[in-house]
Amino acid sequence: MGATTGRVFFTILLSVLSGWLLGYVALKNRTFENIYISLSEVLESVPVITFFPVVLIFFVTDIGGTIGSQLAVIFLVFTAVVWNIWMGIYQAFKTVPENLREVSENLRLGFWGKMTKLYIPFSVPRIAANLIPSFADAMFYITVSEVFSVGNSTYSVFGIGSLIYDLTTAGEYTYAFYSLGVLAAVVVVLTLLLREFAQYSVQRYGLDTEASSNAVRRGRFRIRYSSRLSNAVSPVTKLARYAIRSRAQEAEIEEEREKSHHLKTLGQIIAFVFLIGISYSVFTVISSVPDQTWGYLLSTTPYDLILVGADYLRVGIIAVISLVIALFLGYWLSLHVKTERAIVPIIQTLAAFPAPAYFPLLFAFTYPAVERAFGSFTDEFYVLLLGFISTFYYVFYSYWLGVKNMPHEYWEVMDNLNLSFWQRMSKIVIPSTFPYIVSGLTSTINSAWGGLAIGEYWPDIYDGKTLEVHTGLMKYLALADAQGNLAVVGWLSLIFSIIVVIYSVLFTRKLMDLAREKYVAEEGIYAA
Amino acid sequence: MDNELIAIVGPSGVGKSTLLRILGGFIKPTEGEVILLGKKVTRPTPKIALIHQSIATFPWLTALENVKLGLKYRNLTKEEEDSIARKMLELVGLQGFEEFYPKQMSGGMRQRVAIARALAADPYVLLMDEPFAHLDELTAEGLRQEIYSTLFSQDTSLKAAVLVSHNMNEVVELSDRVFVLNGGPATVVGEVTIEMERPRSPRDQKFQEYLDLLYKLLTPVKKKVKEG
Repeated sequence: MGATTGRVFFTILLSVLSGWLLGYVALKNRTFENIYISLSEVLESVPVITFFPVVLIFFVTDIGGTIGSQLAVIFLVFTAVVWNIWMGIYQAFKTVPENLREVSENLRLGFWGKMTKLYIPFSVPRIAANLIPSFADAMFYITVSEVFSVGNSTYSVFGIGSLIYDLTTAGEYTYAFYSLGVLAAVVVVLTLLLREFAQYSVQRYGLDTEASSNAVRRGRFRIRYSSRLSNAVSPVTKLARYAIRSRAQEAEIEEEREKSHHLKTLGQIIAFVFLIGISYSVFTVISSVPDQTWGYLLSTTPYDLILVGADYLRVGIIAVISLVIALFLGYWLSLHVKTERAIVPIIQTLAAFPAPAYFPLLFAFTYPAVERAFGSFTDEFYVLLLGFISTFYYVFYSYWLGVKNMPHEYWEVMDNLNLSFWQRMSKIVIPSTFPYIVSGLTSTINSAWGGLAIGEYWPDIYDGKTLEVHTGLMKYLALADAQGNLAVVGWLSLIFSIIVVIYSVLFTRKLMDLAREKYVAEEGIYAA
Repeated sequence: MDNELIAIVGPSGVGKSTLLRILGGFIKPTEGEVILLGKKVTRPTPKIALIHQSIATFPWLTALENVKLGLKYRNLTKEEEDSIARKMLELVGLQGFEEFYPKQMSGGMRQRVAIARALAADPYVLLMDEPFAHLDELTAEGLRQEIYSTLFSQDTSLKAAVLVSHNMNEVVELSDRVFVLNGGPATVVGEVTIEMERPRSPRDQKFQEYLDLLYKLLTPVKKKVKEG
């Protein structure tokens, strides 16, 4: 357990430290800033699992040994949490209030002084806000990645994930339960500590004029919160303001927009190149394969695209179900404060409790009933269920923060005009929370891929049963991986990552831009 | 009395905005009750519309769509909604701006949109919580000069308006009656009826007398020494 949480916190610490440094460099150097931001934004919206097989091949075959396995695990978790934290820090640095920045210049603070006295403290609440989902994300991937197989060999690093796996495969269910209990206890304690830390950091480091993160937006935006009002705002509402990001670049003056647009494109190109770069080992595999294998790979591409399509459909179903439940539950909870106080920490804890660890046991207990109900769709149901429980939290939490952060004037207007439930949702609540929904949904979609990667082909999940779907990219990948067919693994990963990057550039980014441009509830409040 | 504009004034923190929200049913009073046309007010209703100090419009809706929100509870046809909303925008002087988004408008125009939205709901009472506080003085003055005739024009259903304000000039300029809150716990320490013809000029001698009277009532209340 210590080994697992140790790995999680090590990678988070690494992300924070590097984020501070890179954030500062980005402030000083405009070219670097544009490349850094575009790169992180693209990579953030790419599911970690895209890298998974590729990274495995690289670390296990090119480095090898225990170090290779350890590094593979840390690298995977790192890529799961780092973008979010980097972007959060960058946003915080960009939105340090002008007057405080001027004071630091005035006092001639050097790099060290500015960082320790101004930038780092200012970024703490934002990091804290990102820690809870990052922790959940990291726990998920770490339990998945502690046990992995390439070819005929199974690699594992010591940790709670591999322990539970070993116990479950050995049929030691009692011990597996005990281990789960330990995991649960640790997760509960850590989640509660992180919650405390988040609230503390907002109280301690949060500025009264918390609209500062919005002040950089164009248009007639004014600081809304007087210090008096701000103190009355609950920590969670304040926290919400750190969880969502405005687009800091929009503070640029118009003439620079053209130039930065080019740099942004350049950044996206580099992101693309970077992805291809980490597929280096794939290419080494591919270049060593004979022509006839190439021919085979190319000829299977149409079928591969069908596989990708099938998985996108699954991801879509999971995302829609998660979103619909989140929309109702989040709104309902915000109206029932007492229930909310009890339920939200429970949901947070459940989310940080990695699904792959307890899923086999859940499977064992529910299988007979589910099979009776779903017949031949039983496996499909479990795969979707695994996807759902490993991802629901992200969209729920993000949306809930959005609802909590809605200007109180909006609640009064809704009440005053006696709007019906549907009118409230469609005209006000959903548009108000749209940026939160988009960012939550992006995380949900990414993690859904993770869920599919485990669920679509899970040999010997319980009592000799194998959980598998009929058609799906992730199953195909897992099978190829298990057979040691590295050429196919590389090829599928390449196709998948290209599709995912195109999807993220064309769709996710567009949606985020729209959210930041049009659906900013704070801009609906005009206060000088 | 019909078409009356009442002002509530008092020092900061005395509970003016809270009183306004109790009148609107947004906050439940611990004692007493609010009665509108013989019926007890227990929750917010479009018949008592609130205008916020920090001007609240919805940035994803055009001016026209913002105003239509006020009509939703009446279940009208699309055509009826459209025509009433247009009429209300015209009433507040925003014809031609129907398709504009709040972002494209000045603060004064946004507050007009909020007023039109409130009036579209066909209210009997309008509650205004420092409605001009976030506007620059020129814009505020312009809006002040029009507001009385706008609110009580024959196109609205309004019977009364309640204004909370820190600005005594504004209060004397607009109100028919003023309630002064002071002390802690706050009580009504004065009720002043302003009997002046409209439009009222601050240069008028009577205007200054009313101002003096209000400021006198607003001076800090000395704590009573306990007797006995």
